[in-house]
Amino acid sequence: MFISQIKARLIGMLLVIFFTGSAWSIDVSEIVSKANNVSYYQGEDGRAKVHMSIFDAQERERNRDFTILRRDMSNVVDGEQKFFVYFTRPSDVSKTVFLVWKKLGQDDDRWLYLPALDLVKRIAASDERTSFVGSHFFYEDVSGRAIDEDEHELLEQSQNYYVIKSTPKNANLVEFAYYKNWIHRETFIPVKTEYYDKNNMLYRIYSALKVEEVDGFQTVTQSRMSDSRIGGYTEMSYSEVKYNVGLADELFSERYLRNPPRRELR
Amino acid sequence: MLILSERACRKPKVFLSLAGLISLVIVIMVALPSLWPGSFSLLHSIRIDTDPENMLNAEEPVRVTHNSLRHEYNLHDMLVVGVVNKSHPQGVFNQATLARVYQLTTYAQSLTWQENGEQKGVISVDLIAPSSVDNIEQAGLGSIRFEWLMARPPQSEAESLSIADKAYKIPFLKDTLVSSDRKALALYIPISEKKVSYRVATLLREKIDSFEGDDEFYITGLPVAQDQFGVEMFQQMAISAPAAMALIFLLMWLFFRNLKLIISPMIVALVSVIMTMGLLIITGHTVHIMSSMIPIFIMPIAVLDAVHILSDFFDRYPQSKNRYQALREVMEELSSPMLYTSLTTSIGFSSLALTPIPPVQVFGLFVGVGVLIAWVLTITLVPAYIMLMPESSLKGFGMVQHEGQDVHPSLLARLLFALGKGTYQHAKLILVAVLALVGVAYYGIQKIQINDNPVKWFAPSHEIRIADNALNERFAGTYMAYLSLRAIDEKITKQQAINKLLEGLASLDQRVAVEITNKVSALSTQSWGYGEILLQLQRFASEQADQAVADADWEAWDQAVSYLQAQQQDKEVFKNPELLSYISQLQQYLLSTGLVGKSNSLTDIVKTVHRELLLGESSAFRVPDTSAAVAQTLMTYQGSHRPQDLWHFVTPDYRKTNLWIQLKSGDNQDMRRLVTAVDQYLVENPPPLALAHDWFGLTYINMVWQDKMVTGMMKAFLGSFVIVLAMMAFLFRSFWWGLLSMVPLTVTIALTYGLIGIIGKDYDMPVAVLSSLSLGLAVDYAIHFLARARELRKRYASWEETVLVVYGEPARAITRNIIVIGCGFLPLLAAPLVPYQTVGFFISTILLLAGAATLLLLPALIRLFEHVLFKNITKAERGI
Repeated sequence: MFISQIKARLIGMLLVIFFTGSAWSIDVSEIVSKANNVSYYQGEDGRAKVHMSIFDAQERERNRDFTILRRDMSNVVDGEQKFFVYFTRPSDVSKTVFLVWKKLGQDDDRWLYLPALDLVKRIAASDERTSFVGSHFFYEDVSGRAIDEDEHELLEQSQNYYVIKSTPKNANLVEFAYYKNWIHRETFIPVKTEYYDKNNMLYRIYSALKVEEVDGFQTVTQSRMSDSRIGGYTEMSYSEVKYNVGLADELFSERYLRNPPRRELR
Repeated sequence: MLILSERACRKPKVFLSLAGLISLVIVIMVALPSLWPGSFSLLHSIRIDTDPENMLNAEEPVRVTHNSLRHEYNLHDMLVVGVVNKSHPQGVFNQATLARVYQLTTYAQSLTWQENGEQKGVISVDLIAPSSVDNIEQAGLGSIRFEWLMARPPQSEAESLSIADKAYKIPFLKDTLVSSDRKALALYIPISEKKVSYRVATLLREKIDSFEGDDEFYITGLPVAQDQFGVEMFQQMAISAPAAMALIFLLMWLFFRNLKLIISPMIVALVSVIMTMGLLIITGHTVHIMSSMIPIFIMPIAVLDAVHILSDFFDRYPQSKNRYQALREVMEELSSPMLYTSLTTSIGFSSLALTPIPPVQVFGLFVGVGVLIAWVLTITLVPAYIMLMPESSLKGFGMVQHEGQDVHPSLLARLLFALGKGTYQHAKLILVAVLALVGVAYYGIQKIQINDNPVKWFAPSHEIRIADNALNERFAGTYMAYLSLRAIDEKITKQQAINKLLEGLASLDQRVAVEITNKVSALSTQSWGYGEILLQLQRFASEQADQAVADADWEAWDQAVSYLQAQQQDKEVFKNPELLSYISQLQQYLLSTGLVGKSNSLTDIVKTVHRELLLGESSAFRVPDTSAAVAQTLMTYQGSHRPQDLWHFVTPDYRKTNLWIQLKSGDNQDMRRLVTAVDQYLVENPPPLALAHDWFGLTYINMVWQDKMVTGMMKAFLGSFVIVLAMMAFLFRSFWWGLLSMVPLTVTIALTYGLIGIIGKDYDMPVAVLSSLSLGLAVDYAIHFLARARELRKRYASWEETVLVVYGEPARAITRNIIVIGCGFLPLLAAPLVPYQTVGFFISTILLLAGAATLLLLPALIRLFEHVLFKNITKAERGI
């Protein structure tokens, strides 16, 4: 009799956990989608000045400054976007431009303008997990990874975070086996991402170092990416962040690579 | 010393058990910490060190530079794995082989482990293999593409072939990853440190063994050669040393025909080796390639004196049939020569402590100590052992020949007797012949090639050598050297720099220029250097730009910031196109020397990316015109999967650049030639900006220690020659006798090195060490011969009479020694490691030559200079 009481209690407890658990939990895809939105889609467009410090394993520092302009092509979350990245420092790469047209379900279009060679090139990378201008960030980290490229799974919910494990649908295209994302429960800002390799070894960590409210949007204004395989890390600091600037679509075209929109970039 | 021998004769058991006990204690002291590391913190365990780099002191400037530059450029030692397929028409570039290469690469990348919190093993991000490097190419009109050269195992034969073609087009990969006939490929596997290379190579070989198909895999590279040598060295010790012992034992049995008796020299040799090696380990020294040879050197020396005793005992015992009596006589006659021979040998080796090479110092000192240990053991244990033998076992022992009575002398005795006579009759002829030989030796010595190459420490049939040949035939070279160029700061004063800065302001907006000029005046009153002032100005200009309201003001200040930054970037000299072109010319020159298979540089990267940016046209394979264009080309390059590759070739401040040079030969001589050639080129073709250069890399390090060793050995040898000469003069109380005793050794060394020069054997590490051995052994024979000759001369009227007696027992002892030890080391010739063969061959040669010089030349010289050498005796005879 005693044992059956315990049993009953246990079952009761489990039921409570199960129901409250499911009542609190929200759909994984909803978390991922919101997080993606917060990271890359706030406002209709946006601009920011970015100071990038690349530290190698020997703590040797290199800096790159650029202004980044972003325009969403539709109101759809996870929709197409355009990015205009204009380098100002160091002086020998100043006026270099990256233009990205983020596509859905196909490779992004990317252009590179090299002023010293007066050359516009399209970059036909086989994948987007190559270094962004020699930093520890990848192109994909700058423009965002389409959420339907991975399977997402809610690992746990702590008081502050959802921990999501994302596994690539096509493992051949990426260097990671899976990554884990710590998404803040209130703001949906991914504050930490850990990338694991095929041997279950953690090798790459993204962390949001500073979050500020800008124009009513919670915005990561300082972030860091480290990679233990090559050593060192890169920090990006955002300043003069603005949303809903009213950037014209035509700015994001090849024509503007050679004559960048001064006013918008200032 | 005589007392010691006497005591040993009286209390043989005590001495033998004492020796046994000490050996046991030493063995235990070595075994405990080695078998249970960590439990005996006060004791040292065996530590093996096979790194030739340790031939140099850790603080040696070359090593410090080598390590700091390797760190700066993030370079690691590399294993090279070559893949060859001779049966497929496309070579290795076929589906099946590439699938295996893909597998092997993935496997190699997984070979890392944690050790004391550090990541050890393969540095997978720097691995050069088809699936781990990027292909950069223009991809249709106006496009450029970065992609893994082989993202997955190819799906068709055509795709396989295209991998070869793509790699062939990239200068960095051509002749490095893909062979010039596009049939073979090589993987370059960087490792955390040299000492993991054997482990990594072994795991790779296991993996390769699991592959099917007819691909040939070759593993080589200096680190694997060095590490493998260490492993085989110890296996060899376990085979060669006992083999030599066994043969010496057999030869002694042939001479003395008494199994029990000849065990005593074996005991002496064994205990000497145990004690010496034990001391080496207990005192915390590493067992290096050099010190691993200590047993091989101690054994002949230890046996040498014992053979003298046995030989003398063999001849004397039958006369008295009294062990104690015979031993007393033997020890009385031999103790002085044995002491001196041991001292001279010990000094010969200890003199190596004067070389600037730590492992050679340790080697010399411990052989020196070992020789003295062997001496003590010989004069105590051999008599003690004989005393302990049952009298019955000595029955029938010894030479049944009494002086003066010619009853069935042995062949050896008869030969020596004839020889003794001959030296008296043909003294001049012998002298002329020796002089002629020395003349030939002089010619040979002129031809000596000082050279070494750790890969050549393996016999030509060894898999490492085969791999080395196979890869160097097909690729640019498996030996790595690096040439680092660095900008030398222009020596201008702070004021000059500021003036130059101010001049340039003219191109800026006037108002901005004025404000900056004012700021400069304010800043230059401070104690800051120019660099700090420039930074302050940049900060100031940036602030002004940020605060500007009107767009025009912003633009004017923004330009100022750019200008100030550009001033700073002026120091980034290796973006300068002129300098990059200069490097390119230097590389051309390197190729033209014929010593270099290929070199990779920052210029190659710039040219390759520039070409692919400009539609892949071969005319665009050049350095662009401005430093900004170079910077932008490099930024493009860094948009790849491996941005870190750039920093192997240039430091992030662009003040130092690195040329990776692949050599087909790891011979020090070739490296030396290259160093000289580059020095000359840099003088004759001065770079557009002042540059300093530093070499580093294993091939270079090997060259440096080799140079140091040769000069060090030479000095050590000359030093000990003088000391031994002084000792000899003291021993014989005569300068002329001292000088005479140095003759066999001088002739032996001259002839040995003459032989080395004539047969074209490189003067390498083992050869260099052998000069000390010949000093030790050759003088031994001379001492025994002369000491006893002089002793005997007192009993006889003339040298003519004395010589016949000298060619009795004394000459027999020397001859038995020569044969026992000379032949005893012949098993080393069968070793698969060349240094062992060298040592085996030259120990035998040295003993033979030293013996011949002693037995032929010394009596001839005594005959010719009798009046000088026996001046005192003659005087005494005349009654003056």
